[in-house]
Order: sequence, then C-alpha cells, then structure tokens
Amino acid sequence: MGTPPQEPSSGTRYAPWILLVVILAFPLLFPSRYFQRTLINIFFFAALGCAWNIIGGYAGQLSLGHAGFVAMGAYPTALLLLFYNVPPWVGFLPGIVIAVGVAFLLGHLVFGLRGPYLALSTLAFGEIVRILLLHFRDQTGGSLGVTIPFKGTSLWKLQFASEQPYYYICLVLLGVCLYVTYRVHGSRMGYYLQAIKENQDAAENLGINLAACKVKALMISAALTAILGAFYVSYFYYIDPDSVAGSDLSIKILLVAIIGGVGTVWGPVVGACILVPLTEISNYLFGSGRAGASLIIYAIILMIVVLFSPRGLITLLPGGARSYRSE
Amino acid sequence: MESVIPSAAKRPESLPPLLAREGHGTTDSSCRISLGLKEMDAEIVLQAIVNGLMVGGVYALIAVGLTLIFGVMNVVNFAHGEFVMLGMVMTYLLHLFFGMDPGVSILLVIPVMLGVGALIQKGLISRVIGQPDEAQILLTLGLSVLLTNIALLFMGPDYRSVKTAYKLSVWAVGPILFSVPRLLAFVLAMAFSGTLWLFLTKTDLGKGLRAVAEKPEVAVLMGINPQRMHMLAFGIGISLAAGAGSVLTPFFYTFPSVGGLFVLIAFVVVVLGGMGNIPGAIIGALAIGVTESLTSQFVALDLAMLGVFIIFVLVLVFKPSGILGKGKVY
Repeated sequence: MGTPPQEPSSGTRYAPWILLVVILAFPLLFPSRYFQRTLINIFFFAALGCAWNIIGGYAGQLSLGHAGFVAMGAYPTALLLLFYNVPPWVGFLPGIVIAVGVAFLLGHLVFGLRGPYLALSTLAFGEIVRILLLHFRDQTGGSLGVTIPFKGTSLWKLQFASEQPYYYICLVLLGVCLYVTYRVHGSRMGYYLQAIKENQDAAENLGINLAACKVKALMISAALTAILGAFYVSYFYYIDPDSVAGSDLSIKILLVAIIGGVGTVWGPVVGACILVPLTEISNYLFGSGRAGASLIIYAIILMIVVLFSPRGLITLLPGGARSYRSE
Repeated sequence: MESVIPSAAKRPESLPPLLAREGHGTTDSSCRISLGLKEMDAEIVLQAIVNGLMVGGVYALIAVGLTLIFGVMNVVNFAHGEFVMLGMVMTYLLHLFFGMDPGVSILLVIPVMLGVGALIQKGLISRVIGQPDEAQILLTLGLSVLLTNIALLFMGPDYRSVKTAYKLSVWAVGPILFSVPRLLAFVLAMAFSGTLWLFLTKTDLGKGLRAVAEKPEVAVLMGINPQRMHMLAFGIGISLAAGAGSVLTPFFYTFPSVGGLFVLIAFVVVVLGGMGNIPGAIIGALAIGVTESLTSQFVALDLAMLGVFIIFVLVLVFKPSGILGKGKVY
C-alpha cells in the first residue's frame, strides 16, 4: 500500500496510516467470517474498478466488456489447477498473457472508434467471450461452469479453510492495482491519457500517438483484471460464463469506478465501499434470492451521479476534489 | 438469470461437500444442431431463410425505434431492450388477466409507451443531451439496469409464456412451413414500420422530426420545437420496441433480462444499416435475421449470435457509417 497521492494537509495527516493499521489488524481482531468476506468483496471490486479506471476513467474509453478479461484470468487458472494440478501461483500467468494479447488485438481493432460505437464494440467483445466459453463446453464445462474441489488447506494450491489468507491476498492485489494506477496517474502516460479523454483530436495534434497510448492503457488494465479473475476463482471455487464473462459483471466493474470517481486513484475504493455494503444491506433486507433489489439501488445511484455529480462521489469527501489532477 | 454478483452471502458455508463435483459438465443440456453439408439442400436453406426473415421483421421494428431515437436526438439508447421487455410484460399481463390476444394488446401497448417514452425523455434523457457521450451512455445503461431489476423484483426470474390458440399452428406453402405466430409477428412488425415511414414522409409532424434530425438549428428557425420533437422521437422509438415485444410473446419467453438479448441485435442492425437510417435498419434487420438463422442451422445453434457479433465488430471497425451509408431518418 502506497501513501495516498494527495492528502489533506490538515491534522488528518496520520489518518490514512491509522486506517491502514486498522485494516491490517481487522481479521485478527474480528474473527467474524461475514465481515471479513464483506471486506474481501470491497477489496476485490475496488481493485477491479481501479483496473478498469486506467482505460475507462483516465483515458475516458468506456469499456463495457471488462468481464471478458476477468474470464481470461479465471478460466486458465481453474482449468490448469483442475486438469494439470498447476497451482494458481503459476496458473494465473497464462491468463495474463492471453488477456494482454487479446487487449493488444482488441485495442488495435476498436480504438479507432469513439463514444457509443466504442462502447458497443466492447459490449460485443464481452459477449463474444461469453458465447465462446459456453460453446466450447468440452473444455470449459459450458453453462455448468468449472468447480474447483476443496482438498484441505494448502498454501501451494491457494486453498484455505479460513478467510484470513484471502483477506490479505486480496488486500495485496488491491495495493498492486492502486500502485499501478498511482504510477499511471503521475506519469507522462497519465497526462497523455487525460489529454485523450479531454479532446482526442487536440491530443493527436499535439503529437500524442493515440492508438499506442490507448492500447498500452488497455493492456495494463487487462493484465490487472486477469490477475483478479485468477483470484476470483481461487476464492469462490466456482466460475461459469455468466458470472465471470457476463455483462452484469462488466457493468458492476464500471459502476464501482464511476460512482466513486472516474479517473482518480481512490475513486474506485470509494465506489466499492459504497456499493458492496449496499449489496449486503439489501440482501439482508430483501433476501439474497431477490438479487434485483441491490441492482435497483445501484442503477438509481448511477443515474443520480451521472446527472448531478458526474465526477463521482469522491468529490463529496473532504479533500476529494483534489483527487483530480487538474484541480 | 440470477444476478452474478459474487456476493459473499451466497458463498456456501461448507464449500467442499456442496461444490465438489468431479470433472465438469459435459452433459448436454441444450441441443446442438450441426447438419452435415450433404443435408444442405435447397428446401432446408429456403426454410432457414424464411424463418430468418420472419424473426428479422421483429428485429426491424426494434431497430427502427433505436435508429429513430439516434437520428433525431443523437442518443444511443442502451435501455432499448428493456422497453421490448416492458412490452412483453404488459402483453403477458393483459393476456393473463383479460385473455387479450397479443395482436390486440399491441394497440394498447403502443400508445401507453408513447406517453411513457415522452415522460422519460422530458424527465431524464433531456438532461444529458449535448453532454459528453459518456453521460448518455451511462444514464441509459442505468435505466436499463433499473428496469430489468424492477421487473426481476416483481416477476422473479421465471420464464413465462403467453399461450395463444394459434401458438403451434403452421401453414404449409409447398414444402415451406410458416409458423402462424411468427408470421403474424412479421406482418404486424412490417405494418408498424411502414406506418412509421408514412408518418415521417407524409405528415407535418413527421417532417418536423426529420427536420430536427437533419438540421436542428434550421428546424428551430422554422418554428419547430426540438424538445417536443425529442419527446415524440423517444416516445415513438420505445413504443415500437414495446410493440415488437408484444408480437414476440406468442413464440418467445417473457423474463426480466430478455431485453439484453434484443438490444445487442438491435445495435448490430442499426450500425449495419447506418445509424439514423430507417430503411437501412429494416434491410439490416432482415439480413441479420437470415444470418442468425443460417448460422444456427448450418454451423451450431449456440454460435448463431457469435456470427452476428463478428459481423458487427467488423462493420464497426471497417465501415462504421454502415453498409448503406449514414444518415437520413426516412
């Protein structure tokens, strides 16, 4: 975990460090599995939101198909473990290679498009991945998905009976995603991406290689997303095409970033801290069987954010507006 | 159709015994049709084309609405499929409670949705017109998630069907079979698309819509109120989608996320025909219907949509203005 990029300079200087210590100590102090799981979910979605944010937020290239990259990380990890006993520590690597390769091809194919055309083609990309996973059922299990049998706690196989190891692994992954975003945020590339977001034609006239820059951002984003996909299957032990490559997941990834604060380092964390507990509350109130309730709340929040606070809820936090570089 | 959010609450307490399933599913739950080339005789091809055209007619009605909204308002309506779903749900309920035939309820669904669409335009969409593309994409996406999940909350995820007397009737013309509900859907869809075309070309109101689509600033000078035209366009657009939903019910299941199946097809059709181009959308829809039908007949049933999406991405990348070129609303 790096330091936050811009701290409020008031007496709250030490607050982030205290918060970090609390987060690190949480599983030791509170043995409740339920709260640990909720936090793991927050870390997981915050990390996915960060990964999406690099291309969708900083570069402003809305991707509605990021779940495709989650699947590219999750499926190879699961299948290698299941059929060849390759541990997830190694098994996640092919997924990254595939995701980065596909991102390279996809980027060159679609980044000539703008606005709704780009959004539509990424939506179609996610659907293509899902349909292919459903079709090659001899390899992927089709709509039945892949189940990883639990064979006792084993660090090597990344299987643990308790939640704590997953908690720390997911926290580290979130840290990695935040660190990468932080590096992009402060780099020349970050400025290029922001220029592209503001005005592509002007950016091109300034000599920025639009295609190369966007493709590079997508490749970074895809690699991080694939790693998180590998974590997903290691933690949930089960994947199917609808859960890891469905458009619902793609939309949820984008919601986390947009509701929190698009194009900021900490926005997705804010978004996940709002959305995941909301899911839990709505599951508690309405029952998890009626999953519709939480998504209704998300949709309303999304529409409110778009209409009234398009830079995300992070701007409502003290010092939050400073997350944007141009302020 | 359950939500896919990996909510912690859904993870079973005792993972190993519940989830451990050796190997993974190779059992076929869905059938797979893979005809050999030798069986690909003229009759089967013709039958596949006829089936494709009939479904394509319904796609046309959905896509015409989408392309009209884009042409007049420059808004891509990501919630379009959900209005198909609303039309299906209304038709289902009218049939359930009053025994109304879908062919009749479409006459109720269309005016109701016309009003609903005008209100949605005035209350929501008008706020993002002229803003960056992301705003309208995200707003209509939010609307889509909202409508799907409201339906899910009230209806549950079950697949429901409208059982009409003619549900399974078939007309045989020589060796070619026409399913009556599909034929009815095709005829109604084409009739409404044709009516829209007459409306746009023959009436003052329709000409006003076209004027706003082509040159909004000049239209204003001619005394046309663009806000009203936007309300009209959005109302017509989604009421046509809902009407398509009505005629789909006799041969397609009604369920909350059904819109997702149609919205992508409608986008493909609209892009293929050129965004904002109504005849383009009709021709594109028929072409996509036939492509889908031929792919499922001769390649694999579950790859039908793959062929459609690949065409979509290729058209987007190499000819984003559409096969028939960009632009006119009539």
